[in-house]
Parts: sequence; C-alpha cells; structure tokens
Amino acid sequence: MKLPTVISAAFVGLMLSTSLSLAGPEVVSGPGADPECFAPWSAETKYMQWPAKPGPYKIAVVNGFVGNGWRIQMIKTAKAFAEDPSIKDKIAEFKVVSTGTDAPAQLGAIEDFINQGYDAIVTIAVAPDGFDRVIRLADKNNVVLVPFDNVLDTDAVMQVNEDQLMMGRMWAQFALDELKAKGVTAGKILEVRGLPGNSVDRDRSIGINETFKADGGAWEIVSVVGNWDDGTTQKVVADAIAVHGQFEAVVGQGGSNGVIQALSDAGHPWVPVAGESENGYRKAIAKYSGEGLKGISIGQSPGLVAIAMKAAVSALEGNVMPQLISVPLPVATYKDLEDGKNYWSDLPDNFFTVNEFPPCGVNISGPSIMAQTEADLN
Amino acid sequence: MRNARSPLAATIRQNSGFLGAIILLLVLYLIYNLLHPRGFSAALLIQNTNESVAIVFLAMAQTVPVLLGGLDLSVGAIMTLTNCVASVVVSGSPQQILLGMVVTLATGTAFGVANGLIVVYGRLQPIIATLATGAIAVGLALFIRPAPGGTVDDDISWALTNDLYELVDTYGWFDADAAWFSSFAWVPVPLLIVIVIAFGVWLPFKHTITGRTVYAIGSAEGAAYMSGLNLDRAKIAAFTLAGFFAGCAGLYLAIQTSSGNADITQAGAYTLNSIAAVVVGGTSLLGGVGGAIASLVGALVLRVISFYFRIVSIDPLLQPLVEGLVLLAAVSLGAFRTLRVKNQLALFR
Repeated sequence: MKLPTVISAAFVGLMLSTSLSLAGPEVVSGPGADPECFAPWSAETKYMQWPAKPGPYKIAVVNGFVGNGWRIQMIKTAKAFAEDPSIKDKIAEFKVVSTGTDAPAQLGAIEDFINQGYDAIVTIAVAPDGFDRVIRLADKNNVVLVPFDNVLDTDAVMQVNEDQLMMGRMWAQFALDELKAKGVTAGKILEVRGLPGNSVDRDRSIGINETFKADGGAWEIVSVVGNWDDGTTQKVVADAIAVHGQFEAVVGQGGSNGVIQALSDAGHPWVPVAGESENGYRKAIAKYSGEGLKGISIGQSPGLVAIAMKAAVSALEGNVMPQLISVPLPVATYKDLEDGKNYWSDLPDNFFTVNEFPPCGVNISGPSIMAQTEADLN
Repeated sequence: MRNARSPLAATIRQNSGFLGAIILLLVLYLIYNLLHPRGFSAALLIQNTNESVAIVFLAMAQTVPVLLGGLDLSVGAIMTLTNCVASVVVSGSPQQILLGMVVTLATGTAFGVANGLIVVYGRLQPIIATLATGAIAVGLALFIRPAPGGTVDDDISWALTNDLYELVDTYGWFDADAAWFSSFAWVPVPLLIVIVIAFGVWLPFKHTITGRTVYAIGSAEGAAYMSGLNLDRAKIAAFTLAGFFAGCAGLYLAIQTSSGNADITQAGAYTLNSIAAVVVGGTSLLGGVGGAIASLVGALVLRVISFYFRIVSIDPLLQPLVEGLVLLAAVSLGAFRTLRVKNQLALFR
C-alpha cells in the first residue's frame, strides 16, 4: 500500500471508531442513587446514567475566576476532599486549574482534560452559555462534566447547585415572621442585591420580592446593589439609611458583614436581618440577637465542590443520577447559633461558615480548612 | 566583522525580539506536547488553536496602535461588542449567516474608524480616547445582550472549530473521505482562519505607504511629518485595522461559544493580555518596531504558558504567581540586548 492510502485508511478507521463510540449519558427513570445526598431539583428532573467505568478515576476541577475568599475556600475544600478517606481510593489523579474570567481558556482547559483522558471534570462556568462544544466532546468520550455554583442553561449535563429561589423566599419569610412576632405589619424593607446580570442574583431577588408581595402587608421594598461584597454593601446600606431613615428589616444577599457594620455605624436600631453565611455576620447575630438583631443566615457553600466531585464519582460508577442535583440549604437562625459549631468567635469575619454536608459524608469544616497552611495541603 | 553587516545578520539583529519569541514558542510547545498524553495529535492541535484564536486576533489588533506609539484600551471591549452583535445576527440561512458575519466585522471596523477619528480630529491621547470608547462599546454590548445567551448557527460553530474534515463533512462540499483530501483533512480550521487573516490582511497593509507611515510615526513623528507623509490617514487606518482585528476576535468568540456574553471582566482581561502579547512578541511599546505577526507569536507564548498548568502539578493558588514569573522572564529575554549595548543607536544599525 502506498503511504497516502495507509493514512486515509487509518483516518477512515479513526472516524468510524469515534462515531461508533459516540455515547454520553442515557436518560433513564429514577429514583437515583443516594437520594439523601443527591436530591433531584424537582419532580420533573430527569435522571441520567453513564456506562460504568472501573476506578480509580482521574478528576479535574476547572475553576474560572479566582481571587475572593469564597473561591479560595472552594479550592482548598476540593483539595482536602480529594484526600478524604471516603473518596481517596477512588481518585487516581486530581488536578485543579483556574483560568480566570476567560471563556476560551476555560473551554480549552476542559477540552484539554478530555484529551488527556480524564474521567470527570468539575467546573464553575464563567458563563451560563457557550459550552455546547465541550459537552459534545465530553459525551463523545464518556467524560462526566459537572458544572456547579454558576451552572449552565442546559439540561444536557449533570449539575449541582443550591436552590437560589428558595433561598430568597426563606430569607423573606423569616423577616416577615420576625416582624409579625414584633407586631410590625407595614413599613420599609431594605433589599441588598448581588452582582447584576447574574442568574443567582436574579433568582434570589425574585424569591425575596414575591414573598413580600404574597404577604399582603403594606411593605415598601427599597433595593440597593451591593455586589455581594462587604465594602460595597456597607456603603450602599449606609446611603440607604441616610436617605430613608429607618428600615423595619434588612434582607441582604451577601456582603452581610457590611450590612451589620453600616447598621451599627449609623446607630440604626437592631432589626431582623437576613443574610449569607459569613462568620462575622453570625458572630454579630450571636452577640446582638438579645437586642433585636434577629438574624437568619443561609449560605451558598464552597463545599458544593465536594458534592460535585462525589456526584461525578457516583456517575462514573454507573449509578443513576438526577440531572440537576439540589443541595439542601444550610440554614441557621439566631436560635441555633453555637460558638465552635456553626460559627467561630476566634476566627476571622470573612470566611464562609457552611462547608459540611453530613448526609453526603462531606465533613470538612470551613475552619479546619482555613487553619491549614498551604504546605499541609500540597 | 564583515559578516555582521550582511543583510541576513542585520535582519536577525533587528528582529531578535521576534526570533526570541518564536524560539520560546517552539520550545514551550514542543515540551508541552511531549508531556501531554496525547501530544502531537490533531485533537490537541484543534483544542490549542481554538482557545488561542481570540487572544491572537486581539494581540494583532493591539499591535497597530502600539506601532504608532499609542495604546488601544478598547480592543477587549470591541471584541465583547462584536461578540454580542454576532450572537444576534449569525444565524439563519447560509446567506443570512454570511451577511451576519460581514455585519459583525463591519461593526468592529466602524468602531475602529470612530476611534481613529476621535484620536486624530479630537486630538486626544489614544490611551484616554480608547478608555472612553471602550466603556461605550461595553455599554452597547450590555444593551444588546443584558444576559448571556443568543444563538449562533450550530453547524457553523461545529464546522469552524474543528478540522477540515468536519468542515467539509458538515456542509457536504465533496466526499470528505476522498483519498486526495485525507493528507490535510486534519488541519484545524481556526489555524487556517488565523493564517489567512494574518497574512492576507496584515502583510499587504504593512507594505503600503500608509502601513509604512504607521511605522514612521512610531519611530519619529516629526520626521514623518517633515517627509510629507499623510499622518492623519495612517492613524485612522491603524485604529480601523485594530477595530477589524478585534471584530474578528469577537466573531470567532461567538462562533466558538455559540452565544454572546457582555462580560466586562473578560473584556478588561483580554485588553491587558493583548498588551502583554504585543510585548512578548517583541513589539516596542514606544512604537515603530515590531508587527502583528510577532504579536501573534507573543499571544501564543502567553497561551502555551497557561497550558502547562493542566499537565504539571502546581498548587492552584500559586498558578497566577508562576504565570507572572514566567511572563516576566519571557519579557526580560527580549530586553537583554538593550542592556548590553553601549549606544542605543546601535540597535538600529
């Protein structure tokens, strides 16, 4: 045979083999494995099943933006969980990269890990769209792609998240209940929003607003944008207090330390507050709840990465998995706060307290991670 | 030292920054392929070219204003704007798709013309003028696409981000399995797009009087003026070309992600990276020395450095630090020559 013939024959063979092996998950009926941990999003959530592969597996985490406390805690959690005895033996190789807010680089990194023969890729997407090509390649190569936190607008991949709409509703409902208990049925409510244009911000805000509307009381909602950032939030809350005088309650999506700081600086009386899971915020609730700071703290946990990794391994083992996994909301109110258990008075304000998910066997507490040095984790 | 004055030796001496970048790129990419489990495969080449196209075009866009001695801070924003435009217009029948692509590129080019007019007739420093127009571009992008999304034709998106085989197979131009075709069917389409635009647009432009005037302005604007060159035309042309290249980046980004996203952070990051790529490629930020092909190589060097984090185990929180150090080393390589010379004029000998 002449060389071109050999090459073309090899090429046709390659094409045939790839088209034959075109696979990906199969849509099956539920229930899925370990429903305590991998709870389906809703009754309509479909179930997926990948062909079982023998372990141990090669798993990569492709992060986008890096540089705030939450992402750093997430990366540390991922590394610590990979060393956890419950999963260590199932992981042959584990790699974490951060691409920055750069869609082509993130897509390239995912494709690179597919090319390197990784079995599962866990990612926080930099955009809710644009992953069609890598999804197609992942399916072709039977790679399990698991977006979490900032998920994709698609039902073609398995995803892990907390229910942001529900979070908004719970925050608002808590504030309403506390106000009722005080005998307040009308007044101004301050809503602090997050990063504009983000689906998480949108869903949380919808949840908050529809709950107040449904209540029927004469509530006037004042919305300010705090970008989930302590500094920005403190500024906008201080401005709002200066303009409006007094609020009956504050419902904030994030930057909760800033809310507390602004209230205390302005000499605003303590009112019911809803917020995220920053340690400083919980410290403040524990300290001032007797004086009227009735607080609720619900967080988007950096520990989601561990559940996404666990879900990836479970899918690779051939288990039936929900397409959209709803991680239970970690809720704590002023009634359940306990020093050393769900907040830490001796630790800094800016880490996220919720990191553990006992039903999933994810038992890596935030403080234990933040206390470790880089050297310990390497 | 007769040999040192020969034309070839002079070319090498005058382009040492560019040659250094090429050697660095070849060495880095060779080692990457050796370490990669699927090194030297077509799939890897396709993946690598795909993720490099946007930054390569943006680096080329940045080069032209830099050659004038200015900086264009709007290139990332124009890419974002054209990305959003493309996510609206690049769909439908083949004719509509083609028209959509032309509209997208025209948007970028028009924005470049506007930049040029503001710089020339508004008599503003390019860095300030483009800072403002960049904000306008991002504003328009957010207006067109307040939330990420949109639809770019699936076929075009698949065909243009793969090898020639898939391109031919998707559109059925001829039998993709034909024997004569098989020897180059593996060539990635994005690679061809970059080569065609880089060599088909930049090189002809460089050799026109306007193109040479751009270099002359960067070297000595006063001398260029005294020589009777049309400075205004060259400046407007430079920003126009920058707008066109940024439009190419935005269009490809839309095709690659089949969507549009008015991501402000990404626009900023890409603008900064485009400047870094220009410097790594050996183009002087003072103007007059370098070229778009050099920046193409510079952008690839930047990208290949980040490829390494996927195959070498480096602590994820240390990766930005390592990337910065390697980048600093790469930029310093080009500066060695300047440290050695006694008289700076010797650099132009």
